[in-house]
Amino acid sequence: MRKSFVNNNIKLNEFNALIKITVELAKYLYPYMRDILKSKEDIEENSDIWNDFNKRFIELIKERFNVDSMKVKKLLNQSENVEIIIRSLLILSFCISNQGYQKLKNFLYDF
Amino acid sequence: MQNKLSFHQSSVSLEIIGLPDYSINENKDQISIISQWKLTIVDKPLIEGKIEHLGPIMDAFYIYSNLLIKNEIPIYESKLIDIKADNLHLHNIVLKSSKANVKPLVLKIGNSLLSDTINCFDQLNESPKVRIKKTDITTNIPKKLRFGLNKKVKFFNFFIPPFIAIFSLILFSSSFIYFYSPFENIEKKELINPE
Repeated sequence: MRKSFVNNNIKLNEFNALIKITVELAKYLYPYMRDILKSKEDIEENSDIWNDFNKRFIELIKERFNVDSMKVKKLLNQSENVEIIIRSLLILSFCISNQGYQKLKNFLYDF
Repeated sequence: MQNKLSFHQSSVSLEIIGLPDYSINENKDQISIISQWKLTIVDKPLIEGKIEHLGPIMDAFYIYSNLLIKNEIPIYESKLIDIKADNLHLHNIVLKSSKANVKPLVLKIGNSLLSDTINCFDQLNESPKVRIKKTDITTNIPKKLRFGLNKKVKFFNFFIPPFIAIFSLILFSSSFIYFYSPFENIEKKELINPE
């Protein structure tokens, strides 16, 4: 999915390290993630946060991902990406506890 | 004098009131015998109950959140609590009282409050000062989901690889039929040299 000609498979220790970094970032970013989720709940009253986030999300995807891929096209479609974004934010916001690393690992293995 | 412990996460707070179990030499500030708990969600009615209600309610929230993020139908039903999703952003919680003639309490919470609540429960689970005894719960999760929850036995994953292997072997070996056919050769020879 990434804009890269090199197709490297991720090693297990690199995968675990990425999960650890993600959990630590999620702990730090929880208030922001919560605000984004809240903004989408009452979109009529407070749509700015959600719109800004979605705009930036699409910008980053266009910048770093292969936009010819069908999966990436789905991420760019504003009507289809809502569910993916909300579920991803929920997963991250459920994993901010001390055992968040194990929780996120379980979620990922369970997909 | 009872001990009181509070866990906070944004708009949700959980208060645990109880006593240490001195029979197993616990510290003064420990809580093992929970007498009361209160779950406060901003702008929502107070939820409180006895220890036997806390475990099932926590389990309900955990199972529901798992269903929600796994793309499955998020429905949890039990004698004590029902949680259903109105849509992707709003969740309907029905708390049923064990006392007769008491109407069930209905709450609607969004994803932000749901994640706050889950994080409060996580803090409680991870707290070294509180010990919760696990209780058995009977739930009415649809059979299909319960099966998916206990163990994802993917029959397709189990049967498809050997099936593909055998099928490809048959396909590969059948292609050799066209390279050499002894019967055709014998017939041709017979035609060339008719004796």
